[in-house]
Amino acid sequence: MAIKFNGEFEVQRLPEEVYTFLTDPSKFAPLLPEFQGMSVQDATHFTVKVKVGVSYIKGIAEVKMELSQAENPRRAQYKGQGSVAGGGVSLIAGFDLVPANGGTKVAWQGEAQVFGRLTSVAGGLLQPLGKKNAQKLIDGLQAALKGTPGAMPSEAKTAEG
Amino acid sequence: MGSDADKKNWVGKPLPRKEENRLLRGRGKFADDIKMREMLYLRFVRSPYAHARIVSVATSSAEAVPGVACTITGTEILPHVQPFIEIAPEPGGKIKDYPLAISKVRYQGEPVAAVVAESPSIADDAAELVQVEYEALDPVVDAEDALKDASILHEEAGTNRVWSGVFEYGDVDKAFQEAASVVHIDRLHFHRFSSTPLENNVVIAQWNPKDERIYYWCNNSFPSFAIQFLSAHLNVHIDRIRVETSDIGGSFGIKITSYPQMAVCALASKKAGGRPIKWVETRSEHNTSSAHGNERTFRDTRVALDKDGVITAIVSRHIDDCGAYPRYEPLGCVIWSQVFPGVYRFKNARIDFTQAVTNKCPVGPNRGYSRMQHLWFLERVVDICAHELSIPADEMRLRNYIRPEEFPYTTPNGCVYDSGNYPKMLQVAKGLIGWDEWKKRQAAARKEGRLIGMGIGTTLDSGTNNFGQSQIVNPGAPFSGNSQGANCKLDIYGEVVVAVGSCPQGQGHETTAAQVVADVLNIHPDLITVRTGFDTERNVHTGFSGTYASQFAVSGLSAVHGAAQKLKAEMKRLAAFVLETKEDDIEFGTGTQGPELRARSTGKSINYWGLANIVNVNSAVLPVEMHDITLNCRYIWRAPFKVPDKAKKYGNLTLTYASQLHIAVVEIDRDTFIPHILDYVAVDDCGTVINPPIVEGQVYGATAHGIGAALMESCVYDAVGNMLTSTFSDYTPITAVNMPKVKYGHIETPSPHSYSGAKGMGEGGAAPIHTISAALQDGLFAEGIIVDDSFNNADSLFRAMVRKEIGQAGKLVTVERRS
Repeated sequence: MAIKFNGEFEVQRLPEEVYTFLTDPSKFAPLLPEFQGMSVQDATHFTVKVKVGVSYIKGIAEVKMELSQAENPRRAQYKGQGSVAGGGVSLIAGFDLVPANGGTKVAWQGEAQVFGRLTSVAGGLLQPLGKKNAQKLIDGLQAALKGTPGAMPSEAKTAEG
Repeated sequence: MGSDADKKNWVGKPLPRKEENRLLRGRGKFADDIKMREMLYLRFVRSPYAHARIVSVATSSAEAVPGVACTITGTEILPHVQPFIEIAPEPGGKIKDYPLAISKVRYQGEPVAAVVAESPSIADDAAELVQVEYEALDPVVDAEDALKDASILHEEAGTNRVWSGVFEYGDVDKAFQEAASVVHIDRLHFHRFSSTPLENNVVIAQWNPKDERIYYWCNNSFPSFAIQFLSAHLNVHIDRIRVETSDIGGSFGIKITSYPQMAVCALASKKAGGRPIKWVETRSEHNTSSAHGNERTFRDTRVALDKDGVITAIVSRHIDDCGAYPRYEPLGCVIWSQVFPGVYRFKNARIDFTQAVTNKCPVGPNRGYSRMQHLWFLERVVDICAHELSIPADEMRLRNYIRPEEFPYTTPNGCVYDSGNYPKMLQVAKGLIGWDEWKKRQAAARKEGRLIGMGIGTTLDSGTNNFGQSQIVNPGAPFSGNSQGANCKLDIYGEVVVAVGSCPQGQGHETTAAQVVADVLNIHPDLITVRTGFDTERNVHTGFSGTYASQFAVSGLSAVHGAAQKLKAEMKRLAAFVLETKEDDIEFGTGTQGPELRARSTGKSINYWGLANIVNVNSAVLPVEMHDITLNCRYIWRAPFKVPDKAKKYGNLTLTYASQLHIAVVEIDRDTFIPHILDYVAVDDCGTVINPPIVEGQVYGATAHGIGAALMESCVYDAVGNMLTSTFSDYTPITAVNMPKVKYGHIETPSPHSYSGAKGMGEGGAAPIHTISAALQDGLFAEGIIVDDSFNNADSLFRAMVRKEIGQAGKLVTVERRS
């Protein structure tokens, strides 16, 4: 089951600053909704744990992430694959950065493929849930990047605040 | 006493089912009822992915759980087993099928590992702790896409094509040259659905280290087939495998392919030191990973018709989707040709048939197996042609039906239809439903803008296979003919006991077998005990024994009849000796001391106990020339088949052809698009009826199954191979609440191919699917919609209507008129 999402927003940060933030797992990963923890393998590989669930079907997803594209300061893309609630998930999320109005326009797009039991028992709920969580991530990202160009972005907080 | 003179014919009587008392009062014995000392419970770890490489399988966390006896994985069993036998020649024959995935998973729900524990709940919990790392691969869920080989399921085969072949008969080109009109149909599609038996698959296995034998208690519905596969797979002599079945809560064919799970349970038992292992399938497991029916796409169909609308030739390309592993396939690639022309007279046809694997649950011989897809195709062809040429549906059929006087009828591919009278069935069905009155009501309703359609489905239920057809798909296949065994004996105390190699799942074998023997021995059926359920140790099975393919009334009862006749002959000979008279002076009946044999000339008699006593425990009184009498008579019935011509794909593939004709009146709600059945008739012809209520029950069951398939039940997969209908809330199997009132009728055209005139029945030819498609077509043709799929719920009808309204429906049908 594919869940696709995309959108764009502008922040008052230089593309280089946004890029640095996005490509730093310790800053980016905690923004994931229901973030539970992470371990970093190397500069481009890390594993995150997030809580996922639909109604009473709940579990911890362990997702292996890879920074698969890193074009400073134009583009960052993550690929991930993991297991969740008797199923699996693979995702791809990309961010294209363009200077705009003294800051940066961030065009984001992604797709999550969900496999397994979850899709068959909660398939109808996954689309809205996935989109909601994607929006949470973007909201968190925007909040973290608030400020003026040249100043340090704020410490990352989870999307739950 | 009752005697031959006042003999009753029990065959044909509406005798209540002997098994009813046991089953309806909860006293049936099913596989899950069996509890054994030291029993362990198995749970499968299944793939969430439709197509993925297995990177690693970690079982240590599961093994650490208290109460877990062991785990078992694919790589672990690999050195100890052979891949399952493939029926296909290459390329399908190169496929390596194991009961646990080795390096790849190929459908969602494929078993990757198993956990064995002291209780089912411990096994469940521990199974969640097995960590499997996957690397997702591109899935292919459509058979036509699969044939492009962009993503290969089985690298060893090198292609997703399992089998292909052309079935061509008559002079197709000439028929098209002479046609008055040619109808082109771009694409038709028969959807994937399955069966929902009350009882899921259950296996209990014990690999006993004391005698190195494997014992199974299970509900597999074709055990003699299963043990052939298991023996080769497990490297165990077939005589070392014992299979017992007891009561079975439905199979509909899909329990035939439970042998992979049987293999895992045996291997787990061996690993657990010989302790018995029980696996009880959950409903979700059943829906996702037991077996589904074949999905089939019909491409580029061309139909030649003469000026009267009589079909003279059909050309088409059929693509069958068998899921991830062929298993019972590619038998479905030829079994459809048992009903090559359906109930119609056309002689010229060319069908290009191809089967492909996809990343979906493997298929099994689901009720109506392979024939229903083809029969639906033919019924759609006939119906679409009728509409396009403005010929009424009933008239179109009458012009094309095989005529009653043409039976026995040899089809273009050499099958011999034994008997039938389709025009009479149509007449009976039209009378029952009130065809003419409904036509008037339909016309009036259409003026009000209502969408009401009337559809006819005429179909066949071919029974008792000639397994020689396997040689058409694989010339090296070692199967041909068909046989069934039975045993009929007098026990030491004179009880008549019948054993037969079938494993009934609700078909009433206990009753009908008793009726047959009762007629032979001229006693009441209540005096006969029928041992139901399969048991290899009873030694009454052949390589074809089991319950499938509409054959018990012919193969099973013929074997029972033969065994009873042998017993009767022995009893008569022995009684003549004891009563000091000639054999032709002996009559069978029931006296004051129960069933007995009597000398007409003297009035002296001996009851069954007396006869059995002499043979079994008082044998010194028996003269040497009678030492061959055992009163324990085994009989093997063999069907009179020949091996088909493999090159020409020609020969008789089935012994009997029951037929069904259904009519439905359906209204499609213009606002909700929900199709409502307003009236429904089912007329059946299965030759001589052995037991009318059992036949009627089978007709109702098959009708419910077909209506469910037509309107409610579909195995839906998304683009990456997730099965979206794995629970009943999404699969929505039909229930009594959804069933319309069915008017039932029947005619009898006795089969010349069975001793009793009976024909196998029970699959129903999927008549409701054809019938409802035809009714919907009738209701929607004026809206410009062609019913091109066998599954039509409110959602699909709505989408069809929208596609039409926004001009995206495409031109599915074109008609070329030449005169």
